[in-house]
Amino acid sequence: MIEQLAKNLVSLKKEFAKNYDGKSQMQEVIPISTSDSFPIKQQDLELLHQFATKNPIYYNSYEQTIDNTKCIVYEGDINKYWLNSIQHGSSNAPFSPTWIMSAYVAVLLTKELGYSEIIDIGSGDGRIAYCAKVLNMEAYSVELDEQLVDLQKILVTTLDFHPFCSDATTFDYSSFNLNHPVFFIGGLAQMGGVALATGVIDKIQSHDFWKTTGWVFAGTYSQKYAPDPKNEAGWGTLIEANKLGKLQTISLPTVWTFHETDETPYIFAESL
Amino acid sequence: MSSADEISSMFDSESQKLENFLSKISDNLGISEIIETYYQVMNVTSMISMLKQQLDSENHKTLLDKINKTEQVILGKFNTEAHPKILENLTNSIQEMTKILQSSSGEKTKEQIENESQLFEELRKKMSTKEFVEQYDKGLA
Repeated sequence: MIEQLAKNLVSLKKEFAKNYDGKSQMQEVIPISTSDSFPIKQQDLELLHQFATKNPIYYNSYEQTIDNTKCIVYEGDINKYWLNSIQHGSSNAPFSPTWIMSAYVAVLLTKELGYSEIIDIGSGDGRIAYCAKVLNMEAYSVELDEQLVDLQKILVTTLDFHPFCSDATTFDYSSFNLNHPVFFIGGLAQMGGVALATGVIDKIQSHDFWKTTGWVFAGTYSQKYAPDPKNEAGWGTLIEANKLGKLQTISLPTVWTFHETDETPYIFAESL
Repeated sequence: MSSADEISSMFDSESQKLENFLSKISDNLGISEIIETYYQVMNVTSMISMLKQQLDSENHKTLLDKINKTEQVILGKFNTEAHPKILENLTNSIQEMTKILQSSSGEKTKEQIENESQLFEELRKKMSTKEFVEQYDKGLA
């Protein structure tokens, strides 16, 4: 069901991207109501819309029917966050989010895999952690960039996904009392993601919850980046070096693949 | 046409292209012109390096003279004058654009946001062009 939901979201994105003639830097869509293609609880969809309407990165929205699905299109601009990140060197990779719907689908899969806590590393505006709360999971959001954490603080008034402004590679995760956590690593392997993931892995490997920990990595097959010799969309070497077991890969739309034909592969893995 | 003639003709053509690019260098060089100029400099530099290994001074004196002349143009006119100036102009332009974009705050209309977004796009292009030019600079060190 989740794989089909992901496929339907990719089709929706492709249809939307084909006809989009706006000028915004980033854009995404969220269905208005539950349907056969998007069998998502109405209450969850409403919470996803609330995240977008409250989020100051979006400056415009309008209704559009795409492939028989009534949606709201959200247009946004994240340039000032990009400028801040390059000015202060405050992050490994500039903020470029996944789609809110993609965050929801990816978190839904972790829930189905049996994880109960989400730790969103390099969380940007905290959308993955927010979706975890929408799905009644515990959520924590760790972000290095102060400006982005300030943005998250605007968004926690709907659902508190616990934002922390900290370097994820030095953060003390024992304070979260984790049992069956899954860490989402923000950033592509080739854009600082490997260093970030390695830092977090090193930090938690000695904890009791290590053996029950899951991992989600955002990958890419783009030829712009050097391929990983062990594949897995850039994450193969890290997965092998840390003895992780690959569980599944699903492709989902992201802001950075809006104009691309390939979506972003999300690699789900577990500590062994 | 002999093989030496072919090589000589090809080198003449590429050197001429290079001279054309160099003659157009100014403070207002666009991004595509910068990239094209550097590619031509790198192209001719590679040709020179390859030909110098293959040609001997007895049989290919004329061509070697042309090669030395072009090499001097690259070393003198481009590496010493034009390249540092291009890098300096890019650095200044990036600083200026960054300052303008940082100082822009307050409520904006959809049109203002989207127009500003184009400036951000231009800034990103200039930054990657600067990275490309800096790579060339590293090669000179």
